[in-house]
Amino acid sequence: MSKALCVLWAASGVVFAATTLEVLPPTVDLRGSEDRQQLLAQAAADGHSEDWTRSAAWHSSNPAVATVNAEGVVTPVGDGSATITAKAKGQTASASVRVTESKAPFTWNFTADVVPVLTKMGCNQGACHGALAGKNGFKLTLRGYDPEVDHQTLTRQHGGRRVSLADPPASLLLRKATMQTPHGGGKRFAKDSLEYRVIAEWIAAGAAAPADEDPRVESLEVFPATAILQPGAEQQLVVRARYADGRLRDISRWVKFASSDEGVATVDDAGKVKMTGHGEAAITLWYASKVFYARLSVPFPFEADPKVYSQFPRRNYIDGLAVAKWQALNLRPSPLASDAAFLRRAFLDAAGILPTAEEVEEFLADSSPDKRAKLIDQLLEREEFVDYWSYKWSDLLLVSSRKLRPNAMWSFYHWIRDSVKENKPWDRFARDIFTAQGNTREMGALNYFVLHKDPVELSENVTQAWLGQKLTCARCHNHPLEKWTQTQYYQFANLFSRVGMKNGAVAGDTVVYAKATGDINHPRLLRPLPPTPLDGEPFDLDSPEDRRAHFAAWLTSPDNPYFARALVNRVWGNFMGRGLTEPIDDVRATNPASNEELFAALAADFAHPKEGVPFDVKRLIRTIMNSSVYQLSADANATNQHDTQYYSKYNVKRLPGEVILDAMSQVTGVPSRFGGYAVGTRAMQLPDVRVASPFLSAFGRPDRIICDAGERSSEPSITQALHAINGDTLNRKLNDPNGYAALALKLGMSDARIVEHLYLAAFSRYPTEAERTKVVGELRNARPASGTAEAQRDTRQKALEDMMWALLTSKEFLFNQ
Amino acid sequence: MFRLDADRAVEFCDGLRRRDFLHAGSLPFLGLGLSHFLGWKAQGALDQTKDVNVIMLFLVGGPSQLDTWDMKPDAPAEIRGPFKPVRTNVPGIQISENFPRMAKNADKYALVRSLHHNAAAVHDTGHQMMQTGRLFQGGVEHPHIGCVLSKLRGPKGDVPAHVLLPKPIGNTGGNMPHGQSAGFLGKSYDPFVLNADPSDPNFRVPDMLPPEYLSALRVDRRRNWRAMVDQTVSRFETSQDARLLDSTFHQAYTLMSSARAREAFELSNENEKTRERYGLNRFGQSCLLARRMVEAGVRFVTVNMFETVFDEITWDIHGSKPFSPISCYKDLVGPMFDNAFTSLIEDLHDRRMLDNTMVVAVGEFGRTPKVNPAGGRDHWPACWTSVVAGGGVRGGQVVGSSDEIGANPKDRPVTPAQFAATVYQALGIPLETELPGAQGRPIRVVDHGVEPIHELFS
Repeated sequence: MSKALCVLWAASGVVFAATTLEVLPPTVDLRGSEDRQQLLAQAAADGHSEDWTRSAAWHSSNPAVATVNAEGVVTPVGDGSATITAKAKGQTASASVRVTESKAPFTWNFTADVVPVLTKMGCNQGACHGALAGKNGFKLTLRGYDPEVDHQTLTRQHGGRRVSLADPPASLLLRKATMQTPHGGGKRFAKDSLEYRVIAEWIAAGAAAPADEDPRVESLEVFPATAILQPGAEQQLVVRARYADGRLRDISRWVKFASSDEGVATVDDAGKVKMTGHGEAAITLWYASKVFYARLSVPFPFEADPKVYSQFPRRNYIDGLAVAKWQALNLRPSPLASDAAFLRRAFLDAAGILPTAEEVEEFLADSSPDKRAKLIDQLLEREEFVDYWSYKWSDLLLVSSRKLRPNAMWSFYHWIRDSVKENKPWDRFARDIFTAQGNTREMGALNYFVLHKDPVELSENVTQAWLGQKLTCARCHNHPLEKWTQTQYYQFANLFSRVGMKNGAVAGDTVVYAKATGDINHPRLLRPLPPTPLDGEPFDLDSPEDRRAHFAAWLTSPDNPYFARALVNRVWGNFMGRGLTEPIDDVRATNPASNEELFAALAADFAHPKEGVPFDVKRLIRTIMNSSVYQLSADANATNQHDTQYYSKYNVKRLPGEVILDAMSQVTGVPSRFGGYAVGTRAMQLPDVRVASPFLSAFGRPDRIICDAGERSSEPSITQALHAINGDTLNRKLNDPNGYAALALKLGMSDARIVEHLYLAAFSRYPTEAERTKVVGELRNARPASGTAEAQRDTRQKALEDMMWALLTSKEFLFNQ
Repeated sequence: MFRLDADRAVEFCDGLRRRDFLHAGSLPFLGLGLSHFLGWKAQGALDQTKDVNVIMLFLVGGPSQLDTWDMKPDAPAEIRGPFKPVRTNVPGIQISENFPRMAKNADKYALVRSLHHNAAAVHDTGHQMMQTGRLFQGGVEHPHIGCVLSKLRGPKGDVPAHVLLPKPIGNTGGNMPHGQSAGFLGKSYDPFVLNADPSDPNFRVPDMLPPEYLSALRVDRRRNWRAMVDQTVSRFETSQDARLLDSTFHQAYTLMSSARAREAFELSNENEKTRERYGLNRFGQSCLLARRMVEAGVRFVTVNMFETVFDEITWDIHGSKPFSPISCYKDLVGPMFDNAFTSLIEDLHDRRMLDNTMVVAVGEFGRTPKVNPAGGRDHWPACWTSVVAGGGVRGGQVVGSSDEIGANPKDRPVTPAQFAATVYQALGIPLETELPGAQGRPIRVVDHGVEPIHELFS
């Protein structure tokens, strides 16, 4: 090794760790003659892993018990124990294997063996026989969700030709799949394949039907679950299913693999991953309606001084967990933001307003070391904080005059606002909605049910808004991409089939009550199913109790895996510009987080805090805002220019349309006028999104028709630019006779003072010397040399308006940074 | 409200006339796409003899092949459905009675009766595949063909290269992207979205001109000062949205300063008869506007026939609410399409524009051969029909056929990728053209080995 390289390594602090080798999984139980286990020879060196499985020499200590082939696959021979050893590059490691029932009679099981073959080979996918209408008269359940139905279809329909007990190789199932008989779906497997053998031997043994005691998959595990690899490296994945009886079985061959980011990693059908870029990718594993993933990463090719990480200021647990991710990926965080940048950011993110020029000067002049924490505490007590979060939850709950009369809309909005103001814990907020009864005028939360009178619609909103799950697909058929089935869908929807409504005393007032009867039928089974929360306990169909209460208890239980994560991600995304999962309202199991450890910690701290009240939203906000991660500068360094998902710098984001409009009103001193609302009402205080406003329409506000974070768009468009340039909204604020420009001239302010004040008001900072010189210079040049005093003033005011326009349409103004 | 009218000069208080503003030359054209265009030209990568435009009519909801352009009159009643076939002006080609005007013009378009796809039978997957040629997987969003064109050729003159009318596809149930953006090419190549209803009596492009109290000089000064203010802060260079903001302002100024662009949007310059011929509805007027767009230099126009499939009468004839009944093909949707499509190809033909303007009408999938218990038909991606005209396509022919119940292609099956390749072929974009994907990974416009439907052009 060259000297220069040594120096480089010493400087970057990388220490040569000895290479270590391990065999995964370290212990293996093989049960029965057909069990197999792929072992991995996994090496660790210099902070990364390597898959040595193919190059290792494999050896069994007792070939009478188990043998191992050159690829590391262990096959049982006789009952007993053996040690399997892998040797590679001078390293040795081993796994212990126990073999049982090796001589016991063996038959393939329909649910555990045959259905996974059909699934992996694609027979029952949506485009083939898993389609709602099947294919060519042969219909399997989508991805084998109902083995009993599939067994019937295979053995009873079509005159028994699909499965021939008398002559298994003559079974259409085998002949079609191997293309011995023409098959629209092509050849799925070969005659000498394991796939063929599983099906043929199952048929030969009598094609036994599924039974209650069939092994049931509880969960999946994967090796390696996480790994840091080198660019271009290949890594085999091994997946084991854990069954209800505790048995672990290698089912890698039957797993459906997919990569979350093919720019980082690709994966083939056999579970072999190839790292194609830098960053982290999740490899999703789907088997028997269970979903899991492995996270594989390749650090970015940057050098990083370990001191950057060890000395990073850790204010709370968020910081340590973010640092761990940066360090693993070689990302260097940006420095902490300046006081001015932090101030503007905190006001906008927490309360949707700009600090006034006076507030900026005061904060910048304050020399106390804890002024940021103090500012956060003050912001969280402001009325604008309440407005901002009420608006946000009104987006979530779809408050609007579209379906609600004004009095109803106001009572709903006021209930939300009162809840935010008292910082009602999120579980109580939800529980209040789902357990309330009475009239909507007195209990505004009940309008939630008025908006969704149909139990099916209601259940879709519930899953989206409170659980971050999209269930719609399962309305008509099993969810093709997720684990939710149509049965689960109608079990869930039946939770809301007894919400009764009748007209109240005045128009717009509705009385909501729990009906004693009423069910909705599963559309194919044509009977009601026991009301059941997702993966929850069923509720007795005949119970007279309010089903919503059962649901509310499940929803807000600290053990509900989705409730806390759904809210945490929304709040995190509000501050950080990107959710830990994206889209922000999609926290399903197959959508891996960019920093799972951090996500889990935030959710745990929210649902099970060590001290204080669970589900305290304000506390969550305070924790996020006080972290160093939130307070990082938006200025990128050489390593994190393209990072948006690991939060190594503050993500610059365009302000929401409502916030921009209010900020323009504040800086120009001219409030917006919304039809039917008092002058001075800010956009963020509107309870309704149907108030006419060309500005808000152009800059994107949600329709509040469906619950979908995608409804709020902040993408710049030509339409927005045209409205900013030509539209009446900003232009009328600028030339208002009582606006800032007119007033500043009336007060006789100098150009220099005006420019300073405008920079403080619009950008929350003092102008630099260069900016002062340029901007003041332009204003001076725009002054006419002659003319009446009135004409001179008019020209000066127009110049000032134009300069304000330039400031208020600049990137620094429109973006939070 | 200021009226758009390029032919009249308007006097302003600062003495500058409107025409002066428009032609002041103070708004220099800095078209982003131009350099790309020249670069490509230098490499000889594009076939410049083919200055072909495309109008893509996206039939949101998924028309039933059996009730439109692939009738099965000999099939049992539960298959053939309620409508009868009629003869067209091309012997041997029959289409549904719901399109009487199309029937008189069958020599001008071709039918592809063997489209099929294998992805999940939800609207969104078909939207992706028919407009980008690919299903979105592994987190990669592929670009709409019009956005690829926009990237490779840039705008022609002052108008955007790719315009989408009247609004993007909204919610169709799958919560997936609809393939109407530039995807991995970046938002700068997204289409210009009209976001207004051209059939509205007061239709105009919102805020296309400055208000009367704002002189041209001031508009110009504001622009310069904004650039000066922005100059001092560099941290936005890494933010895609921020770069895009600059680009949208630039495009807005270009649009404003172009008389030709503004005139193109002026539907009231069309006579009433023409407007009625296209149909006085959102889709009909969008098709008319599409023709004007192409005349003004827009290279690719995407027209969404509908915005969603919920609570709107569309091609999505499940037969039960919130979807549409099969009868709407006769009462509403059929005539709406017949009038707009036929008027469009008649006009293009009469103006000698059909040779270099391809018109594609296609939905995201077909519908179940068997009529369902509600009297409708459900999603069916295994087989459906597209209508293709112009841009070198020989009319009066049928490519591919379906089996006796319209369930599967019988011969010449066509995939969405091949369909996209056909549009690229018409545009003169070589299929081996590579686009810059994520992390610099090159991605071909269509995968290796995907062939266009050659016989359409022969």
